[in-house]
Amino acid sequence: MSPLTPNVAIPPTQRSPRVDFDFQNGRFLISGESYPEDAARFFGPLLQAVEDHVAGTPDGSLVFDLALAYFNSSTAKALMNLFDLLERAAGRGVPVVVNWHFAPEDDAMREFGEDFSEDIHTCVFNLCADRDG
Amino acid sequence: MLARSYLDFKARLDEQGAVLTYCGSVSETVLVALGETLKQKMAELETDAAVVKRVFSIFIEQVQNVIRYSGERVAADADAVGLGAGLIMVGVEDTRYFIVCGNFVRHERVEPLKARLDHLATLDKEAIRQFYREKLREPPEEGSLGATIGLIEIARRSSRPIEYDFAPRDAETSFFCLKAYA
Repeated sequence: MSPLTPNVAIPPTQRSPRVDFDFQNGRFLISGESYPEDAARFFGPLLQAVEDHVAGTPDGSLVFDLALAYFNSSTAKALMNLFDLLERAAGRGVPVVVNWHFAPEDDAMREFGEDFSEDIHTCVFNLCADRDG
Repeated sequence: MLARSYLDFKARLDEQGAVLTYCGSVSETVLVALGETLKQKMAELETDAAVVKRVFSIFIEQVQNVIRYSGERVAADADAVGLGAGLIMVGVEDTRYFIVCGNFVRHERVEPLKARLDHLATLDKEAIRQFYREKLREPPEEGSLGATIGLIEIARRSSRPIEYDFAPRDAETSFFCLKAYA
């Protein structure tokens, strides 16, 4: 358990997603649209916080809810890096669940979910067609 | 004369089906403002939601490429996301949206860029999807800031093969144009 990890709550902007990371309860949410000016700068500290948290072998499982309506290619890269680090954590025995939310009619977001899931073997990855368009 | 001259200029844009045209310095702030304007315009034209998403994806990747790779960048620092310069046009041609971006590139960038685009042109939809996955897993190519994935995303969202071309301008630069259809 890493009780010192402060929670993260970033409100959404026109171009960056809402981020709610509740480390104590192991709940992580990223939602909205994501095409930040500098995706590496936006996501870098968030990924680092998750990395530090999982390094402390947290109690209980980690649940990630990703509910993005649109993201650009630099964000896709950041998501790939997030999944890589979650896979490594899961490989060390940390239970990780990723819920990929998308609107039923949104083929692009469904495809992204399917493509990411092909590289995820240790985390549980759920495709959830439950997002409002 | 003034009004006549600009009316002619505007008429030429209208003939191309232009919905939104921008020429000049492009910053990330300009990108957000144009993106929002484009969304409003498409809502007004009652554009199908799936088409709106495709137009927007292509638009963002195209404009971010202009900001990052334009040969007229104000910030010489390769790491800085700064100001580029170029031409952006979103329009409708036979009921189909198109997005064109043009910017100057240094001659030495022409061949590598053309090689990437030529390669993309040989791929079908499924191969483009696989190529995107592959590139996502690789570290970015040197000096690319992730441009390859951006180009793949444009090709992936385009409902027709993307069109591209280069026109030499002077001893150092060529004008590069890329057109995609949503």
